[in-house]
Amino acid sequence: MDDIEGRIIQNKEIVSGHYLLKVKLAKPMNTPIPGQFAMMKLPDSEVFLRRPFSIYDYRQDTAYFMYKVVGKGTHSLSRTGKNSTVSLLCPLGKGFNIQKRDAYVVVAGGIGIAGVHLLIKRLGKQAIIFFGCNRAEELALMRYHINLNPYVSTLDGSYGFHGNVVQLLSKHLKTICKSNIEVFTCGPENMFVSLRRLLEKMRIPCQASFEERMACGLGLCFGCVKKTLDEKEPYKRVCKEGPVFDLWQVCL
Amino acid sequence: MASMSVKLFGKNLRNPVMNASGTLGYGEEIEPLWGIENLGAYVTKGLSLNPHNGNPTPRVWEERQGLINSIGLQNVGVDRFFNEYFPLFKKKKTPIIVNFFGFTEEEYVACARRIKPDNLIIALEMNLSCPNVKQGGISFGKDPEMVYKIVKEVKAVTRIPIIAKLTPEVRNLREIAGAAYDAGVDGFTLLNTMPSLVVDIEKCSVPIRGGLSGPVLRPIALKAVYEIFSSLHVPILGSGGIMNYSDALSFIMAGACAVQVGTATFVDPYTIPKIIQELKNYLEQLRCPRISDLTGVAHG
Repeated sequence: MDDIEGRIIQNKEIVSGHYLLKVKLAKPMNTPIPGQFAMMKLPDSEVFLRRPFSIYDYRQDTAYFMYKVVGKGTHSLSRTGKNSTVSLLCPLGKGFNIQKRDAYVVVAGGIGIAGVHLLIKRLGKQAIIFFGCNRAEELALMRYHINLNPYVSTLDGSYGFHGNVVQLLSKHLKTICKSNIEVFTCGPENMFVSLRRLLEKMRIPCQASFEERMACGLGLCFGCVKKTLDEKEPYKRVCKEGPVFDLWQVCL
Repeated sequence: MASMSVKLFGKNLRNPVMNASGTLGYGEEIEPLWGIENLGAYVTKGLSLNPHNGNPTPRVWEERQGLINSIGLQNVGVDRFFNEYFPLFKKKKTPIIVNFFGFTEEEYVACARRIKPDNLIIALEMNLSCPNVKQGGISFGKDPEMVYKIVKEVKAVTRIPIIAKLTPEVRNLREIAGAAYDAGVDGFTLLNTMPSLVVDIEKCSVPIRGGLSGPVLRPIALKAVYEIFSSLHVPILGSGGIMNYSDALSFIMAGACAVQVGTATFVDPYTIPKIIQELKNYLEQLRCPRISDLTGVAHG
């Protein structure tokens, strides 16, 4: 990991409130593991702390981030123009652990696609993708995966399956259920709750990428914890022991 | 060559810059970026006799030029610290200050007793901002009588020097410091975070209560250092919103013999080594032979 200066070469709104940011780094970062993240120092002095972002992609010294405007930091970032300078502490955290399986199922909810894009890239055609969003226009978030024939659900029924992504997965799980599969997921926590309920019966292994308010991103402050089943030390740091956790070990 | 070393309780520190407790993990977390041996001394995360799980989230909240935290003193306990994390400091010959706390007098005393003297242990730093559960939850550090009693009791069970880390949320800081001084305290850390809260105006609720740190606190901590320096003659470690070398210098000139950097590390994890280097440059430019000569010079 390193603190690397970068210049914004693109910051484009791809769907209302969702952006794709490209940052040219002054020097290369260590090759990120899918699921790892960066802490970004914004040029806006009103934003005091760095902000965590999943590394969406990384190639030729350029880091890609897909983000949704949710608070002060992302709002400021969305208004940051081309050629602005940011600082990136990266790559951070524990990413997805890809082991030999018969099938890899990737479940992404909304902007959660940003946390699994690099993973999908790594898995290529082996990935069976389930993507859920609110409405058809948000499909633009996963336009780079269209050739992988993703299963798609929209909450308003404007495209694909009418419902949420876990309901969609439950319809197909039996047909793709080989003996040795693993699920990788990123999205809102209520999605994790229903996903776990679905996978529970078959005890399918599942790695989930979590998010939490962070201060340091390095494991220094113990601010960004998730409660786990570990009796000795239940609170684990999302930035250090995560952001990817075994879904079965986290208290939801 | 200018000397950055300072003497604290008879021991030499290579420089006067430390981390503030709880802002540099257990030490090892920063190692991928810079070595802990760069520190004047490492201040441990707050340790207790038994491990503590800490609070549920949210634990951190950004303010304008500040940070509110409610970590809830999560820590592995004093025994595990010395078994698992202290060997790194031993290996790197890096002095440490052990920050510790309790929720009863007995817990403070038992924890202090548990820590065996070691060449690398410069002092024990008592976090006096904890609620005394046997006295209706009032912070130990708010009541001069409780401060006197707890410092006296802790002093009686250890020969390691004791530093009292004081809370800013008091009516009369001099009175509190005076009580600790009368009980034989060896030094002060000024100040701890300021109790604060946030209101979410959309949800009509309070998402977090916790300690406010960062630049917003700096002038308040500076005043505390200035005042206590002029009335009590024990070493002071200055702490509160130090972001760069000039902030650090202002604390030293106000009367601190060393400084602690906390929240700034979250903004830029290299803040501590940068401050050390910039202080060194400053001394050389000024042709000042020793950083220790600058302590208290703002008093004229």
